[in-house]
Amino acid sequence: MKNKFAYTAIIIASLSLSACKDFLTQEPPLSQSTELTLSTYEGLDKATAGAYSYLASDGWYGGDWVLSCEMRSGNGEKNLGHNSNRYVPELNWNYLSDATSAQWLYTYYTVAKCNNVIDNLAGKESASVSSQDLNNLKAECLFLRALSHFDCVRIYAQPYSYVKATGKSNLGIPYIYHTNPSAKPARETVKKVYENIVADLLEAESIIDPSYCRKNFTSPKASVTLPAIQGLLSRVYLYMEDWDNSAIYASKVIGNSAYSLYSKDRYKTAWKEDKGAEEVIFEAYIDLSNYSNLDVCYMTNPAGTYGDCLCSAELYALYEDGDVRKELYTEDKNAGHCSGHWTLKYSGKGLSDGVDANNTVIIRLSEMYLNRAEAGRRGAQGVDYLADLNAVAELRGASKYPSATIADIQKERRKELAWEGHYLYDLARWQKGVVRTADAFLMQKNANIPFPSYKWALPIPKSEREVNKNLEQNPEWK
Amino acid sequence: MRKISKFFTVAVLLFVATAAFAQRVYLNGTVTEKNGDPIAGVTIQEKGSASNFAMTDSKGNFIISVPQDGAIILSCLGYVSAEVAVDGQKSMVIALETETQKLADVIVVAYGAVRREANTGSVLSVKGAELAEAPATSVDKLLSGKMAGVSITANSGAPGSSSNIRIRGTSSINAGNEPLWVIDGIPVMTEDMRSGSYYGDGAAASTTNFLNPNDIESITVLKDAAAASVYGSRAANGVILVTTKSGKAGQAKFTARVKVGASQLANDNNIRPMTGGELIGYWRDAAVNGGYNPDDPTSAYYVPWSLLKDGTHNWYKDLTKVGLMQDYEINASGGTNRSSYYASASYHSNDGVYEGTGFQRVSVRLNADYNLTKTLKTGTRIAGVYSKTQTTSRTGSSLYDNPAFTMFRLFPWTPIKNADGSYTKPAENKGYNPMAYAKLNELFDNEYRLNGSMYLEWKPIKQLTLKSNNAIEFSYVNSREYYNPLAKPDGVAALQETRQSNIRLTTSNTITYNDIFGDHSVRVLAGQEAMKESYDGLAGSASGINPDIPYLSTATQAKDATGYSRSAYTLLSFFGIADYNYANRYFLQGSVRGDGSSLFGSNNKWGCFWSVSGSWNISNEKFMQPVTSWFNNLKLRVSYGVNGNNNITPYLAYGVYGAGEYAGTSTMVPTRPSNEDLSWEKNKTWNVGLDLGFFDDRLTATVDVYQRLTTDMLLSVRVPATTGFGSNFRNVGSLENKGVELALNGEIIRNGDWYWSVGANIAMNRSKVLDLGGSGFLETTDYRLGEGSDTPVRIAEGRSMYTFYIREYAGVNPTTGEGLFVKEDGTLTSDRSEAPFKYIGSPEPLATGGFNTVLSWKGLSLSAYFMYSYGNKVLVDNWYITDGEDTLASNSYAKALNYWKKPGDTGCNPKPIAGGSNVWYAGASSRFLQDGSYLRIKDITLSYDLPEKALNAMRIKGLKLYVSALNPYTFHHVDAFDPDFGELGYAYGGAYTLTKSFIGGIELTF
Repeated sequence: MKNKFAYTAIIIASLSLSACKDFLTQEPPLSQSTELTLSTYEGLDKATAGAYSYLASDGWYGGDWVLSCEMRSGNGEKNLGHNSNRYVPELNWNYLSDATSAQWLYTYYTVAKCNNVIDNLAGKESASVSSQDLNNLKAECLFLRALSHFDCVRIYAQPYSYVKATGKSNLGIPYIYHTNPSAKPARETVKKVYENIVADLLEAESIIDPSYCRKNFTSPKASVTLPAIQGLLSRVYLYMEDWDNSAIYASKVIGNSAYSLYSKDRYKTAWKEDKGAEEVIFEAYIDLSNYSNLDVCYMTNPAGTYGDCLCSAELYALYEDGDVRKELYTEDKNAGHCSGHWTLKYSGKGLSDGVDANNTVIIRLSEMYLNRAEAGRRGAQGVDYLADLNAVAELRGASKYPSATIADIQKERRKELAWEGHYLYDLARWQKGVVRTADAFLMQKNANIPFPSYKWALPIPKSEREVNKNLEQNPEWK
Repeated sequence: MRKISKFFTVAVLLFVATAAFAQRVYLNGTVTEKNGDPIAGVTIQEKGSASNFAMTDSKGNFIISVPQDGAIILSCLGYVSAEVAVDGQKSMVIALETETQKLADVIVVAYGAVRREANTGSVLSVKGAELAEAPATSVDKLLSGKMAGVSITANSGAPGSSSNIRIRGTSSINAGNEPLWVIDGIPVMTEDMRSGSYYGDGAAASTTNFLNPNDIESITVLKDAAAASVYGSRAANGVILVTTKSGKAGQAKFTARVKVGASQLANDNNIRPMTGGELIGYWRDAAVNGGYNPDDPTSAYYVPWSLLKDGTHNWYKDLTKVGLMQDYEINASGGTNRSSYYASASYHSNDGVYEGTGFQRVSVRLNADYNLTKTLKTGTRIAGVYSKTQTTSRTGSSLYDNPAFTMFRLFPWTPIKNADGSYTKPAENKGYNPMAYAKLNELFDNEYRLNGSMYLEWKPIKQLTLKSNNAIEFSYVNSREYYNPLAKPDGVAALQETRQSNIRLTTSNTITYNDIFGDHSVRVLAGQEAMKESYDGLAGSASGINPDIPYLSTATQAKDATGYSRSAYTLLSFFGIADYNYANRYFLQGSVRGDGSSLFGSNNKWGCFWSVSGSWNISNEKFMQPVTSWFNNLKLRVSYGVNGNNNITPYLAYGVYGAGEYAGTSTMVPTRPSNEDLSWEKNKTWNVGLDLGFFDDRLTATVDVYQRLTTDMLLSVRVPATTGFGSNFRNVGSLENKGVELALNGEIIRNGDWYWSVGANIAMNRSKVLDLGGSGFLETTDYRLGEGSDTPVRIAEGRSMYTFYIREYAGVNPTTGEGLFVKEDGTLTSDRSEAPFKYIGSPEPLATGGFNTVLSWKGLSLSAYFMYSYGNKVLVDNWYITDGEDTLASNSYAKALNYWKKPGDTGCNPKPIAGGSNVWYAGASSRFLQDGSYLRIKDITLSYDLPEKALNAMRIKGLKLYVSALNPYTFHHVDAFDPDFGELGYAYGGAYTLTKSFIGGIELTF
């Protein structure tokens, strides 16, 4: 009797003890654990697709990347007729460590998404999953990781060309290869960051299936592809003043028959397209699921309530009559009380319900011509830079250049790539200051930003430094 | 197993040993109430013996063998224990005092009941009889002001609304501050699932609507760690133990109650909107101040008197009403010596004081107990409740459909209805007509709730009790929000239907060993508990449905949306308590509890909570003998313990990916970092208390001093973005509450037919935020009054729990009539934006408490309860949203009429300026910071119990008549309907504030 009782007690006790662990494990039914997501090819594939999402954010290519660049560089200005008080600090380079660019967050959130995939690919081959399938995911993530760091280092650090010219070891940003929840990474030098970016891109180039394009993306141009990797390499090498490599990679893309420059007519309409027109190599995809009313589309549209960002008179004056790019600006047709020109590169796809959005082009073919022209003019081997420059200028309806000075190439680049988030960073790498005329929104003291100046490397966010003491602030910022 | 059998052997030996005493007699006795009614179930214990017990039968009779010169101790829950010397007698009749006459010496504590003198912790109790008469809907509302250190704020004055209950201040920022409610031994669900309150967000208020106040036998509040720690896991915010009534052996007793009353909005400072004439006068002055001609039709601010030509009305009067309250109840109780029962059914209906609001509840309860054998007992507690809460808008916020807000916005000349009978759509209120919303829309929550538990108690030997208590609670809330197109500004019908269910299963199993060896008395308890709660919610909404068939079935697919949520969490606990008492002088208690919660990370699911406490009953010492005739009680209590708090949303410890979309493809994106180390928030409490009693407890005093230290707070803290996330939920930071509580009670007259008692309590709590894990400050979730990212109330390191963070206002410029604000350098400016935000004042009261008095003569009794709060600041923000000092776009508070009119005027509002650029009313500034001290008459009750003679003539057992007033008047200086703004010290927009009620009732027992 006693024994029976004892056995029963022991059985119940052991059952309840082993049940304890299960009983106290309640998993979230409406989401998937990180481990499970990253344990299968399907999960890794979806996690890779998810790594793109911040590109479309209004804090990055959806809005702030483009608009901050244009407003800071002198391509953009504000007027009283369209003022929702946005983009005034950017126009005035009014940054503080607690009011600085948010690119830091978008970069590292995206890097973490990429690292999660890269670090979990090993051994996921199966009967239906080839090692090439895994390599394609890895290449996508390497590309996005490189692009994220590249954009971040362009905002928070002095340009590579300046560091190279002065021989200084200016700080760049932390380059995160493995996302570690307890790590407090320090900043690497600008030089090291660029080397890492190149290394990631070269590895991506070497492992991606040349014909790879992400299935199911509405726009194939939203997917990382071999030409996208090569196009970005051309740009990164240009920033590094590695003229030969920049030209080589530009040539790889230019030689790809899948892409062609817009005709004069196409230049007017191609921007509205949902699926990436013929010149587009890589773009951020924006639709009703991820648009924001702070998108470039809203900020550059005078018909709506915002339209804060309009084209500066100086930029508009650069376009000759007959240049199709001049026709890609609109005036405020409704009010009549304010003059100015707004870019039509983001006039909307025509989505429903009064809501509209545009994809943002990140890399396109004419940049490749201009990269190669600049690289060639600066000494890259075997480049007919005048032909490259005129290939763009002539097609747009501008006068043909009889010869190509560096200034000519720079001017053509500004005209062609205006409102696409290039000019400010081009100025930085050319080590040229910003020259503007003060107005109601632009304070006198910040109208001109000389180069060099500490201001070209924006302050590291204070909130980030508070939780990572290893991060050194850029000099002179409070 | 061997140990257990040894244990039994020892127990049996002890049992036999204690029986060996000298010179015994059989004592026959009867235990009665004061009126002679027998009391069944009274325990009669031989003094000094652990084993010699007897119990009265249904006629109150008992028989016990006792030493001739010994004494017996009588105890019964609900009655004052008595000690009677045997003195050689063989029979006696003993009358026990019921607890309504005097607080019982027995109080319900965690997993049992103890005599008051054996209690070591800080415990407060209120008896059901004190609760039953007040005309409130739910228990929580009845407790306020009655207990030192227990602060209860109704979230709204709406009938059926929930409350925020704080025991000894606010101890947690994120993990919830509501106490644990334990009803009949089962920790119950108190989450309010009705519309607008979401499950598990940690901030949800307690709702005890499901409990009929009349079913309550007693309520005990466990305040300190020692008292509460057995519920260690969730006891950080104190524990409220509710015991419902059970039957007593004896003749069946029926009680019928009827209560009828009326309530209205409490508005003792006469807050009202301006009349039409006042508003026009105000606007015309504003126009002139702004340089406009109010009589010029082309002026931007044309304000002719002719606006009044079609008459005006008072929206305040029209939108509020007198709400009728009715309450009917019948209960029956009784039993035999083998079984007892208590059954009740009640209907409660309470119309709101705003049009379109109300609350109804039907509840039934059956509590039954049955002695299966001499050693085996079982019982059930079953309650079923249906309640319906009707609202007219998201009351309490600044929405245009909220009558409490819009009554101050709508123009007095805007009619409610057009000439054709349709409702107007007032432009000054964005087309919302609150009357149309109240009359035409349907916004209600139907809650169906079942609480059922069954226990089995086995007493194989006198000293040993094994008890298993198992419960199921089920709550289903069915909510409907239908917006009639005739009321909605855009004329499009809209509907949301929500179905939520919450189910909780609990098992609680204890084994108790109780024994007395001479002067030593011991209780050891070991137990185990497990709980699982699962939530499931589904919502469907659609716009543009057919108003003739206002259901989701007429929604088109394009405008149809659904939402779904589900979650579950579990808790597993093992615990033990040991009590030791030496000669009723020294008491020691220790408890330990291990809790595992599914809410935490896999590394840290388990928390260990414990307490030690002791008390010294000095008055039982020999050296006190000379003074015990007048100084009958002196007890010192000391306790320390660690409790836990796990009141957070499920799954925060899990790193998860959620679904996303990019470029037309479904994706997975990381939504939360994993935190395997996430664990219990801890609460460490010291308590030192002193109980004093003079003149046979005619004068009693209780003093408690405490310190609560909250550590490992569950906070969302910033983490480096390089980790992939901006913030993570961690255990960081600490905060402290410390304070003093004092309660005094005196029976000034206690002779014959007269009785007069006075009681008072005061609590002084000081909170301090010690560490926020590097954040410096946190913003409270309600940011609406703030400008930009600033909130008017912050949680800041080194300050009290909440602090106002606002601009400093310096009054009106007597020369120009402009508002003045204090700049960084101390100089004054009329440009508000130049004034920096500062920490100014705290909503934390210096003292809170209440006092009460009861005066009775024969069957006539008058009682009054008062409550007060002293030294707290409140931010009265309602001007900010309605005061059109510059835009002239809405009506305003009549208080705004006191504005600067000529040079030299001071102490008034700044002058209104139409089109002015300096809006002195906008945003949060100290202009609207006021002294929130108040004194509230909580309730006054006059009752009459018919004398026995009359009862006998009518062949009934009792008849009681009473009239009562709840919140009849509040003395305060706040420019708002009611001064109680809750712990944050401010309420945005028009809150549904407190109501006052007047009620009459009859209670018949037969």
